Amino acid sequence: MRIGAMLGDISRSLFKRPVTERYPFERKAAPERLRGQLTFDPAKCTGCKICVRDCPANGIEIMVVDKVAKRFVMRFHTDRCTYCAQCVVSCNFDALGMSHEQWELAALSKEAFLVSFGREEDIQALLNQVTCKPGAAPVVPVAPATT
Amino acid sequence: MDTQQEPRKTFVVPIGPQHPALKEPGHFEITVDGEIVTAATVRLGYVHRGIEKGVEQRNWAQAMYMLERICGICSHVHATAYALGVEALAGVQAPPRAQAIRVLVAELERVHSHLLWLGVAAHEGGFDTLFMYSWRDREMIMDVLEGLTGNRVNYSCNVLGGVKFDVDDTQADAIRRAVDFLEPRTHHYLKVVTTDETLIGRTRNVGKMTFLEAETLGTVGPTARASGVPRDIRVDSPYAAYPDFPVKTITATAGDLEAKFVVRIQELFESYRVIREILDKLPAGDLAVRVKPRVPPGETVSRVEAPRGELFYFLKSAGGPNPDRVKVRTPSLCNWGSVLATAPGHKLADVPMLIAGIDPCFSCNDRLVTVRRRSSAETWTWAKLRQYGIEYYR
Amino acid sequence: MNIELPPLVALLLFPGGLFLLSAGTVYEWADRKLVARFQNRIGPRWFQPVADVVKLLAKEEIVPDGVNPVLFHGLPVVALVGTLTAALYVPMAGIAPSYSFTGDLIVTLYLLSLMTLSMGLAGANTLDRFSLIGANRALTQLFSYEAPFLMALLGPAIAAGSWQISQVDAYAQGHWWLVLTQPVGFLVALVGLMGKLELPPFDSPEAETEIVAGPMTEYSGRGWALFRIGRDVELLVGLTLMAAFYLGGLANPIEFMLKTGGLLLVTAALQSLFCRLRIDQTVGMWWRIGILLALAQLFLLVFMR
Repeated sequence: MRIGAMLGDISRSLFKRPVTERYPFERKAAPERLRGQLTFDPAKCTGCKICVRDCPANGIEIMVVDKVAKRFVMRFHTDRCTYCAQCVVSCNFDALGMSHEQWELAALSKEAFLVSFGREEDIQALLNQVTCKPGAAPVVPVAPATT
Repeated sequence: MDTQQEPRKTFVVPIGPQHPALKEPGHFEITVDGEIVTAATVRLGYVHRGIEKGVEQRNWAQAMYMLERICGICSHVHATAYALGVEALAGVQAPPRAQAIRVLVAELERVHSHLLWLGVAAHEGGFDTLFMYSWRDREMIMDVLEGLTGNRVNYSCNVLGGVKFDVDDTQADAIRRAVDFLEPRTHHYLKVVTTDETLIGRTRNVGKMTFLEAETLGTVGPTARASGVPRDIRVDSPYAAYPDFPVKTITATAGDLEAKFVVRIQELFESYRVIREILDKLPAGDLAVRVKPRVPPGETVSRVEAPRGELFYFLKSAGGPNPDRVKVRTPSLCNWGSVLATAPGHKLADVPMLIAGIDPCFSCNDRLVTVRRRSSAETWTWAKLRQYGIEYYR
Repeated sequence: MNIELPPLVALLLFPGGLFLLSAGTVYEWADRKLVARFQNRIGPRWFQPVADVVKLLAKEEIVPDGVNPVLFHGLPVVALVGTLTAALYVPMAGIAPSYSFTGDLIVTLYLLSLMTLSMGLAGANTLDRFSLIGANRALTQLFSYEAPFLMALLGPAIAAGSWQISQVDAYAQGHWWLVLTQPVGFLVALVGLMGKLELPPFDSPEAETEIVAGPMTEYSGRGWALFRIGRDVELLVGLTLMAAFYLGGLANPIEFMLKTGGLLLVTAALQSLFCRLRIDQTVGMWWRIGILLALAQLFLLVFMR
């Protein structure tokens, strides 16, 4: 029977630095495996859309600019993503990854949550064709056939 | 719980749905006479999200992530149970390395869950210092899990057929360091819990449940083991890598709150031992085998030991890309009866600790549907119930 | 220290009134900061209690149905007034009380109890179950610690041979610290002070995890702010009384700060060490151990004289 069994703990703590991390003034480096923002390498993508099928949150959209020349644009909804990395595992071509540096993803507007990956000209071409506001379902006309 | 009694002047204290004692909503009506509890009823369902129905509209790979998010504290065991079930239906066996990593993460999760519970139970009793210290130490495990899996909760460790990531030497060292730090701290907490006079005053002989009562009420997990019922799925029907890394069943005989504290803390020691053993003897091999997107038809049952008790999954496949039916029965659902049975006779001040004693996870257990019909009583088949649900929302 | 201040200044500015309110917030901050440091946390910044009070005073006050509005609005004021008045008779800030009179020890102790009484009444006033149970517990606790606490404070009064706080203070300044000559009395008084202030482990009347906030559940805005300020001032007055009696009197403001600060450190440590006691355990402890210790101390004193 002891009165005050935690006396040792509390007296030591009086002379130790508090264990609280003073975020955002002190930021610890995130571990390498942290599942942060999605990264996409368009050069490796083949347009198989397995990632679209397997995403539990319907957060990925692959839009085909030119299937033969392998030009794809991925629209990724950061706010829908659950950061589960199923897409990373499902992709057979290593086109997807999850960054461990970009994880402070809060934003003040919805536009920031819709990220497009791909070559600049492809994105521009698609955006010119798409007739909708970001966040709503896109209406993409069929990609023109190229020689 | 639905009897007609003559209207008496009873003083009912509602604990919940919003109450500082509860971390999640649930409604307890505690009938008190002064400070003594005379009756208790519970009403659940406040966190029902329709996950079982939602899973039917997603394919097998997507469903795992929904099920993983049934609970934040025991998310990995949900995913493991589901993955084991699907692998059984598909007729594949995950490779031994994957099973060992699954068990490793499961035991790490058990450590984090029990430390969390220690803090929460201490907080319910007004012992904030123990709460702060146990959660401070829990941060070690959270950091280890973040480094190993990529996230502090919802580890997303499983894929159908195996695991996503490997355990390399740096990870193993980090885990060993964390476990080495935690073991003496856990000894210290065991000493605090069993010797501190004020804490003993709140936990000894409070909520005493005998062996017979625990068996009859159908309790599972540490709640049952604290009364001497040696029920542990890891020992009774080992799954994943538990046949290779056996665990000892920890029981106590007193059956009161103090016994529940002691059982959970001693389970921590077992977990540390198993974690070290797995790290030393991790089998070599692949991380996953391929499971086809369409799972062959069949039904299977998969049971795992969550930190709270026996987690039961029933999976039914009709051969398509989506699961036909997933039924989840979580351990907290079995343990509510013990709270309601032991509460009368105790003081009101004991009730939050009794509720916390079974380590309730309200989010886990909102799967139950109670249909009260006084006029007629009929039995519905599963197909009829499902049709009713579909038409209700049309 | 004997300073001649104009009565109005002494009443409203220093060492009463405004000084009390601000020092109360400083002591609340120190208490919370110390408890946090004992728990290895950072704790609030210095302006947190001030910010709390300002925010609460600015918020809407919701009056629940079925209460007596006079009592509802009046009881927080009564509680605050009680503690502010009690501060006039103790050597606050090390300055000899300007309003003291013979027998003011009894008056001060009753004024300090006014806080608990008004909290109990406030709880009983509403229809909320949590408040009723909290009020029940608050009054039960009042009956349990009051007698031993009074007796423990009588010890120094007997030693000094007077019922006047300023004279006991003067006696304490001139003699050995009473914490050494009456250690049992000091212990009972310290623990009794924690009971009076409803600090953990005696916070059963407002056990957050059992009855939400006890008698204070229905209070918001102004009423709640006044109760909080009252509690801070009571902390200050209680610590001053204890330091004046047992820690060798308060001769000047430096001694006041050091001695009450030291007592606060001990109180904060005691707050972090224990699990909350159930109300029946509190009553049992006081009526079995507390009162026996206090009585033993008193008998010892009477025989030694």
